[in-house]
Amino acid sequence: MAFWESIPSGKEYEMKSLLSNTILILLVRIFLGGLFVVAGLDKITDSQAFANSILQYKVVGPTLAMCTATILPSLELLCGISLIIGLYPRGCTLLITIMLVGFTILVASALMRGLDISCGCFTQDPNVSKIGYKKILENCGLIVLSVWLLFVRDQGINLLKSFEKQPDKPIN
Amino acid sequence: MCERELTMRQSLLESLLLIMAAIVLGVTYSFVTKQGFFAKTQSVQTAAPSNIEMISLATAKELFESKNAIFIDARHEFDYEAGHIRGAVNVALKKFDTHLTWLNRISKDKLLIVYCDGAECNSSIELAVKLMESGFTNVKVFFGGWQEWNTAKLPMEK
Repeated sequence: MAFWESIPSGKEYEMKSLLSNTILILLVRIFLGGLFVVAGLDKITDSQAFANSILQYKVVGPTLAMCTATILPSLELLCGISLIIGLYPRGCTLLITIMLVGFTILVASALMRGLDISCGCFTQDPNVSKIGYKKILENCGLIVLSVWLLFVRDQGINLLKSFEKQPDKPIN
Repeated sequence: MCERELTMRQSLLESLLLIMAAIVLGVTYSFVTKQGFFAKTQSVQTAAPSNIEMISLATAKELFESKNAIFIDARHEFDYEAGHIRGAVNVALKKFDTHLTWLNRISKDKLLIVYCDGAECNSSIELAVKLMESGFTNVKVFFGGWQEWNTAKLPMEK
């Protein structure tokens, strides 16, 4: 390949610089992390209602639903906070992507089985947020964002790195 | 080791740490607040308002044989068509408003027995609440629902 062919064209360059824009990455992290914090907080405060929501999908039994309702909200909360503050950014992005894919498959399977149930995603109120194709589209959008974050080389602000001891400046 | 492999290892390690932290946090929180796995009562029955009476399979069977009650199936149409208590009518929770016209023709003190899939669903309780809000005074919930009825091989139809 000739040297000039490796140089990105104008539009390509703009796209690349946009996708690696630190401010944009930070905004997406705050958005995605915020969503997970809100979702986790709602579930953690009423795990009984969340266990009922899980049972409505008719995939697991009461014991496994209760275990999931005990641990999943904490995981959502921790991942959300981690993503916002930049603590373990790779790990929490990976977990968020896995969770989103899992939720989407669950909603799709419930729709295919004709279940008329509430999502249990952000609120446990059975009359709010019923599952539907809109929910799958929403989740797909979130998956695109999380996959993008997963492949971004520099995820921006990382609190762990900022706490690391900076090397002393050489004395002139 | 290449950079991609290192990043993957780092991602997995971080994920593992977060999962372990979530387990510790979740278990501790539910232990302290006596929620979730450590809840004293783990039945959804506790979520039912106190003015709604829960009935057992035996009572439901007695009332079915007395023919004095209307059985209402709160499940989705799909489940109802696959099998339901003989004579039961389907009032899917989501379509409650569309059923109000004929429901209002029934005497408000008529005994209504609402059921859904079983102890793992809430829609029977939610429907019972809606019926009571609509003025029905004699609403009971057969909490064991379709699963108990079906297991006991009691009269059913498709």
